[in-house]
Amino acid sequence: MRHPDAPLVDASGLVRGFGGRRAVDGVDLQVAPGERVAVVGPNGAGKTTLLRIAATLLRREAGTLSLLGWEIPDQAQQARRHLGYLGHDPMVYLDLTAQQNLELFADLYGIDDASECITAALSRVGLLARSHDAVRTFSRGMGQRLGIARLTLHAPRLLLLDEPYTGLDSRGARLLDDLVADVGADRGILMVTHELDRALTGADRVMVMHRGRVAAEFPTAGTDLPEFRKRYAELTA
Amino acid sequence: MNPSARRQYAALLRKDLRLEYRTRETIVAMGLFSLVVTILFEFTVGERIGNTSAIAGGIIWATLTLGAVLGVGRTWVPEREQRVLDAILIAPVPRLVMMMARTTALVLFLLGVQVVVVPLAIVFFVNGTSPASLVLIAGVCILADVCIGIMGALLSSMSVFSRTRELVLPVLLLPSLIPVVIAAGGATDAALSAPRQMAEYRGYCLFLAVYAVIFALVAYATFDYILDD
Repeated sequence: MRHPDAPLVDASGLVRGFGGRRAVDGVDLQVAPGERVAVVGPNGAGKTTLLRIAATLLRREAGTLSLLGWEIPDQAQQARRHLGYLGHDPMVYLDLTAQQNLELFADLYGIDDASECITAALSRVGLLARSHDAVRTFSRGMGQRLGIARLTLHAPRLLLLDEPYTGLDSRGARLLDDLVADVGADRGILMVTHELDRALTGADRVMVMHRGRVAAEFPTAGTDLPEFRKRYAELTA
Repeated sequence: MNPSARRQYAALLRKDLRLEYRTRETIVAMGLFSLVVTILFEFTVGERIGNTSAIAGGIIWATLTLGAVLGVGRTWVPEREQRVLDAILIAPVPRLVMMMARTTALVLFLLGVQVVVVPLAIVFFVNGTSPASLVLIAGVCILADVCIGIMGALLSSMSVFSRTRELVLPVLLLPSLIPVVIAAGGATDAALSAPRQMAEYRGYCLFLAVYAVIFALVAYATFDYILDD
């Protein structure tokens, strides 16, 4: 039975392997409403695998996972309505226009006032004037901004961000900063990043992963960047 | 905000048709390939055998099925190359709706190719035919395309995550379509002999319909597992 005040992410003992190697090895993870959690770690630490499990894109081999109180994978369809996922790429069709891409996702998420939402989303990311141009004609930064419009179109409660600043122009980075800063009381963010400074400034809590396990977890308040870098280097040595 | 399956199906199908309209990659590739194979058959078989009417159905469906492999191989390519697959899979779309939209798009693409290739092949390989035969052949095309569409959607989804997808897809698809090719070829030959072989025509069409239902049940039972993970 789903509890209305359930955590956005509640995972325990997550395990996932590839070819005999455990990419995620017994990870516990909680994200509460209003909370922003950054996952950092070196390449191969299991950050993206963890995020993809939380995004219902990968099945876990062991452990438990619920998203907004929905048990995964049995109730994945219900949970997916409230998830927004942004990776290195904007995840839009290059041969469709910006408008057509957002229309597609508005239909998939069942947005009622789709036309107004799309106009508002395009306006927010500064692409309204290019709404009828194929995405193929966009610069990488513009494409990423369209990705942000797609991400926020259905007002998801849990944002799952995988290196979201990759390829963003300055305007896009500002947009994403604002999105991360204004998380709101009932939404939450789980962000995977290499950038320690962004993790420190954009999250309430940082989780350091190393070789598939959580090496450390601490609040960002009261932690300064040099101290964080030093600790990170020790944890991932 | 409760997305209806009908709206999601229409959106996914419209997306596939829009992409094809803009790029014209699938229909053009399938059409050109099928035309070239038809012409090859004409020069290699038609030149040696005087009356090819008796084997026209087999030639037509061998050609169309090989062409269909190209079209099925293009399925999921934009999602994979443009990295949209995760955004589609994370959306609250039942996997069955995804499969139905993909199947419908494949059937429409196949019909688009057949509108050109089948009449041309009949001109090459059949000595005189009636409008009634063409209508009957259109029925065969629809039934066979549903079989190819369902199996194509299913197997292309299985191979989309494979590194050797270009090899895996034809190896899986062609053997599974052998009964479809045999039945569609037989039904086409019977249609070309109409009204003499109507009982045979109905038998082959029934076989295709049953095969489509079996394919649909297999796809229904497995599609969730294929795309989730």
